[in-house]
Amino acid sequence: MGMVWGRRLDPDNVARLVRDALATLEEFGEPGADVGELIDGPLSDPAARLDIANRGVRRTAARLAAQTPFYERRFAAAGVKPDRLDVAGLAAIPVTVKRDLVERPEDFRCADVPPYLTTRTTGTTGRPAEIWMSRYEMDLWPALGALAGVLRGEIGPGDVMQVNVSSRATASVQLDVAVCRLVGAGCRVLGIVPPDEALESLTSATLLATTPSYLAELETAARQRGMGPADFRLRTIDVGGEVLSSSLARAARETFGMDTIRDLFAMTEVAPVTGRTCQQGHLHFDINVGLVEYLDLDSGEPAEPGALATVVVTPFFPYRDCMPVFRYDTRDVVRLPEGALTCELAAMPGVGQIVGKADQLVRLGPTDIVTPRQLVEAVEALPTRPWPARFRAAVHDGRLRLTLPHSATAGLGNADAVRHFADHGLDVDLAFVSDDEATSLRSLRCDLHETTFAGRRALIGA
Amino acid sequence: MNSPQWVLSTFQLVVALIGAVAASLGALVYFRRVRMERPAVGRFNGRDVVILFTLLAILPAFYLLVPRWALESLLVITYMAALSIGFQPLLRPVALWLGIGLLVGADLWFGQHALGTVFGWQVFWTENSLIVMLAAISVANLYVQGGMQLRHVAWFAAGLAIYDSIFTIGFPITNLLVRDFVGYPLFPAMGMRISFNEAIVGLGDLLVYAAFTIAAYKAYGKRALRIALVLILVFGAAMPTLSGLLINYIDARLDVIIPAQTWFGPAALLGYLWMRHRYGPERTMKEYLASTDAVRREPPAPPAMPEESTPEAVSKPVSA
Repeated sequence: MGMVWGRRLDPDNVARLVRDALATLEEFGEPGADVGELIDGPLSDPAARLDIANRGVRRTAARLAAQTPFYERRFAAAGVKPDRLDVAGLAAIPVTVKRDLVERPEDFRCADVPPYLTTRTTGTTGRPAEIWMSRYEMDLWPALGALAGVLRGEIGPGDVMQVNVSSRATASVQLDVAVCRLVGAGCRVLGIVPPDEALESLTSATLLATTPSYLAELETAARQRGMGPADFRLRTIDVGGEVLSSSLARAARETFGMDTIRDLFAMTEVAPVTGRTCQQGHLHFDINVGLVEYLDLDSGEPAEPGALATVVVTPFFPYRDCMPVFRYDTRDVVRLPEGALTCELAAMPGVGQIVGKADQLVRLGPTDIVTPRQLVEAVEALPTRPWPARFRAAVHDGRLRLTLPHSATAGLGNADAVRHFADHGLDVDLAFVSDDEATSLRSLRCDLHETTFAGRRALIGA
Repeated sequence: MNSPQWVLSTFQLVVALIGAVAASLGALVYFRRVRMERPAVGRFNGRDVVILFTLLAILPAFYLLVPRWALESLLVITYMAALSIGFQPLLRPVALWLGIGLLVGADLWFGQHALGTVFGWQVFWTENSLIVMLAAISVANLYVQGGMQLRHVAWFAAGLAIYDSIFTIGFPITNLLVRDFVGYPLFPAMGMRISFNEAIVGLGDLLVYAAFTIAAYKAYGKRALRIALVLILVFGAAMPTLSGLLINYIDARLDVIIPAQTWFGPAALLGYLWMRHRYGPERTMKEYLASTDAVRREPPAPPAMPEESTPEAVSKPVSA
């Protein structure tokens, strides 16, 4: 009933539902017919969607105005009454940006919730933000995730999940561990260890959770060791946090011998709102637990079909309660679809995949914008497989200058390399740096290496 | 006018056999051919057995405490729900609700207006028995297709054996209820009347037989089905009625109702334990549906292709 009345849910009840779902699958092999309604909600009805959104916005705004100094001030300054707010009136409230969170984190904490666990963003796009979660959130989110995962067949009791994300991403890691515990799956948390070490244990895993850049390192290491599909029993790889190129995805499928790579959207600041990618490559957000807006990069108004837009997210109470944000501008950019979707998730609103961060777009002209995704796709499609892609893109004399490490185009002449990028729709001037400088071109999550004793060289006398 | 005890027992035996066989085989046919819709999440489990048993235990009090109009309203809703759930996969909505309306409406009418003669009683019992049998088939399938296992049915029957013994022999509430409420519309039993004598089999008993039959079939296939049917016929139909003859022979002053589950419950439990020992763990619905015991819906046959004559080779070997 918490979902109906907007009160806090009982995570134990959701956990019981997970157990029931497991029993259902054990008995019947599949969930009942109306499973989509259970996990995705009544999303196919636009009126129901708007009603859910309006109630969520009102409920969340009213609570934030009462419990957080930041939003008390913000709503007062905007002159809105939170308990009468609806989706149509949101434009009156300025978006929240990361700088707000970084500079005044204590102003975002709800007074009525004791903090339990803090997690920091990785800081790949600037100073890290510290986000507090409540015990309730850390119980609820994995329960909801486990329920959806079990019913969609994404995770089950026989699975072993290997987690290769930064061990400092405490919330993310803890959620993976808790989901596995609820489902009865095994969980191996390794962090960003040397790829060869991760590969050894990956042979017994069925699920891999990592980032695209680390997946690239794993794929490269596996190929160098002559490993192939027969060496693995993976059935799904989940990646997120960075752009996954189609070249890398295809190679990973071939090397690890599986079909399903799920390119997910998840962000600490707006958890538990997540997005998943359909088979046609659209990104579909879970709008049961939050509102997702797509705003024009320049005007801040709702973006037009076909335009690039920044994703603005408002997680709803009671799904987020310790340090919530309202209209948080993720600066993740997507392109809006121009026509109706025809994918298997078409009942849910969908947009194009994340093309990169707004401040990493390269503007060659008022309407000529090169996105990080275009660059990653083009670089990672080079025959040298320079994975993960390291490059720097800048505008020089009105043209796109792309700086690469020498090895990225090894074996190609400059003309061939330029032609390769032209084939990918990029008219570039190329510049090169030594391979030693490659990591300085572009920070990636795989750079957050963690050392292990096994990975060190033996010390004489040790 | 009282008939001799052996006549009554024989009559009771015939009614019990017809009821038990009709419910069991009807449920089996339904189980093999119809797949009911089920919720996204949920499987019948031990908790549900306890809830079901508790509801059954407080049902007699409900009969005694609520006014007749409320009781009949509840029964109407209950039967309509049971029939609609069970026959929704088979009938279009108009036919479904027309059929349910006719069945329930006729029962209410007969219960109010047709009980003045023996023939009227027989018409009422025939109509009422049909509704009760269909409801038993429907609910048994709802449970078993929803994941109820043979062990659940066996333990449920064993619990009913104790309950029935206490409230039929120790504190004869069941006897009072039968005497006071028989002939009410939608009375929860199959039955028939000859002269002034009535023989009935309760809905609860029919439900247990139907569920035991299909749960055994689902769990272990045809071999268990045969065992289940023998147990139902011997301990569910024959022994309870024939024991009445025996008791009356020993003490002719006795006029007792022999609760069927007192005989069937222990037999069902022992039968289940034996099958479990002999055949191992029960099959799940998934395993049952994958087995050769399940009736598969054949894919539509491809359109018949006209037979084409094989073209002769253009060049034939000469004097091969």
